[in-house]
Amino acid sequence: MSTRLELRGLTRHHRGQHVAALNGLDLDVNAGACLALLGPSGSGKSTTLRLVAGLDQPTRGTVLLDGDDVTNTPAEQRGIAMVFQRALLFPHLSVIDNVAFAARASGMSRRDSRAASQRYLELVQLGDFADRCVADISGGQAQRVALARSLAAEPKVLLLDEPFSALDSALRADMYALLRSIRDALNPTIVLVTHDQSEAAAVAEEIAVLIDGVLEHHSDVRTAYVRPSTLAVHRLMGGLNEIPGSIASGVHRSELGSHVLPADICARDGPATLVIRQEVVRLAEPSASSITGTIESLQSAGIRQRARVRVGSSSVFVELPPQVSAAAGTVVGLQLPTDALHAISTRAGGAV
Amino acid sequence: MSRVVRAALVLWFLVPLVPILLWAFANRWPFPDLLPQQWGLDGVRSGLAAGAPHAFVVSATLGLAVAAIATPAGALAARALTSGRLPIPRVVEAVLLAPLILPAFAVALGLDVLVLRTRVPSPLAVVAVLSVAAIPYTTYLMRVAFGAYDKGFEEEARTLGASRATVLIRVQIPLLAPALSGAAFLAFLVGWTDYVVTLLIGGGRMVSVPILVASFAAGTGNSSVVAALSLAAVIPPLILLTLVARAGPRTGTST
Repeated sequence: MSTRLELRGLTRHHRGQHVAALNGLDLDVNAGACLALLGPSGSGKSTTLRLVAGLDQPTRGTVLLDGDDVTNTPAEQRGIAMVFQRALLFPHLSVIDNVAFAARASGMSRRDSRAASQRYLELVQLGDFADRCVADISGGQAQRVALARSLAAEPKVLLLDEPFSALDSALRADMYALLRSIRDALNPTIVLVTHDQSEAAAVAEEIAVLIDGVLEHHSDVRTAYVRPSTLAVHRLMGGLNEIPGSIASGVHRSELGSHVLPADICARDGPATLVIRQEVVRLAEPSASSITGTIESLQSAGIRQRARVRVGSSSVFVELPPQVSAAAGTVVGLQLPTDALHAISTRAGGAV
Repeated sequence: MSRVVRAALVLWFLVPLVPILLWAFANRWPFPDLLPQQWGLDGVRSGLAAGAPHAFVVSATLGLAVAAIATPAGALAARALTSGRLPIPRVVEAVLLAPLILPAFAVALGLDVLVLRTRVPSPLAVVAVLSVAAIPYTTYLMRVAFGAYDKGFEEEARTLGASRATVLIRVQIPLLAPALSGAAFLAFLVGWTDYVVTLLIGGGRMVSVPILVASFAAGTGNSSVVAALSLAAVIPPLILLTLVARAGPRTGTST
């Protein structure tokens, strides 16, 4: 089931639109890996999946599976299955016949196809639902059946187009666990489209970020959080702290003072925005040697609080640990871990 | 809706059928009696003797042939109209729906001479003209169905390895079955109930049920046979209507 997926210069211009929906996408997904394609609405995520699946033709570029060019191969012959945002279960077929659809389409008898499909239905923990009518199952169960149906096709690559976005948070957590167990059992190559960075982090080990049809970032999950390529990626990953300043000789200078950037950042001199995750900034007692600011406001984030600390004209957001409480108006010190610092050049609009 | 209104509507539909029902089994019903003086099957016997079985076969063949042509044609036209890929959809739609505006009599009167001169077999010509008359109905009905049809099902089927033929047989037709059967029923009715086209283009050689009924209705003293034939003519569409209703929205269960 594991196949390497490569996209080379994939471009798609929708008819009647001047701007490309997808512009020169180069992306590799290793066999058995799970890549989350992240981006805001209209960024080209679903367009990418449709081009990979063969449901739309690219204006330019190629899709390669294990090195074979499948750009002009019809969708039904690519061996790439797709689960859509809506389960799209065939209403005239029972649950088991939905899962058996691929086997039936390949010419297998009804009895054999049902027997072969039962395994996949059990994999999504719905073995007892085989004879149910699809109208009689819940939204979460429908998505599980849709997943089983795609897995039963034994695809080379499995594409998931925001399949969990219509589910409530508890069901989503169940689906993430299910996806992990499926990966353990079948090790399929997966591309998941989502606009939710926490979902991407929960299920994927790689994140690619599309902004306005252009790939702005591709890395492992941790790097996407702490070393975003652009400010847009930083914001999409939920980052809140952006401190304008400039870099000179590997040191970022701003209202927060001078900060030596980590050695793995190839710092280019010039204007740059210092970014740091709100989760890693710590409050401390104010001192002459630390950054000192005033808590301007506090926002509840579940059992945690998020403090907005004013330092000069800049704001620094701090996600407080559950056991720590603070009050607005308090003067506090800020600790910025050096290895969590990152700077994004504002001259070229990209990472330094 | 109040009970009174509902009852009035039922009466409005059923009352006109009462005299036909009575006449069909009346051997003698002189004016001004409220009910027949003598009950019997003279009307049925006269109808059978006048070739009613053959007329029913002709009408059924016409209806089925028209349904067989107009239903897929309407489905294809509707698909094209809803695809958004037609360059001038409004014009195409107007051309497709034009037979609804043109009186059948005017079309048939012009075409009968053409059919004679081109030596096209008249049954073929009748089916062709009636199919054109039925296509607006099937197109309209299927356009509504395609408007509500989710193409995502087809795309999902394709990513599961289904060829275009498999998608058609296992996805598209089952999902559109209620609309297709409804369109086929309407097209069948166009062929089943036609009088003008069958008479003028058929050249009087095709004796369908409406033509047989009309020939009796033109004379006097034939009320019972006209009623018996009319009553019998309702039965095939009623059977079809029952079948169409059974083809309604289906949900799958394992068997």
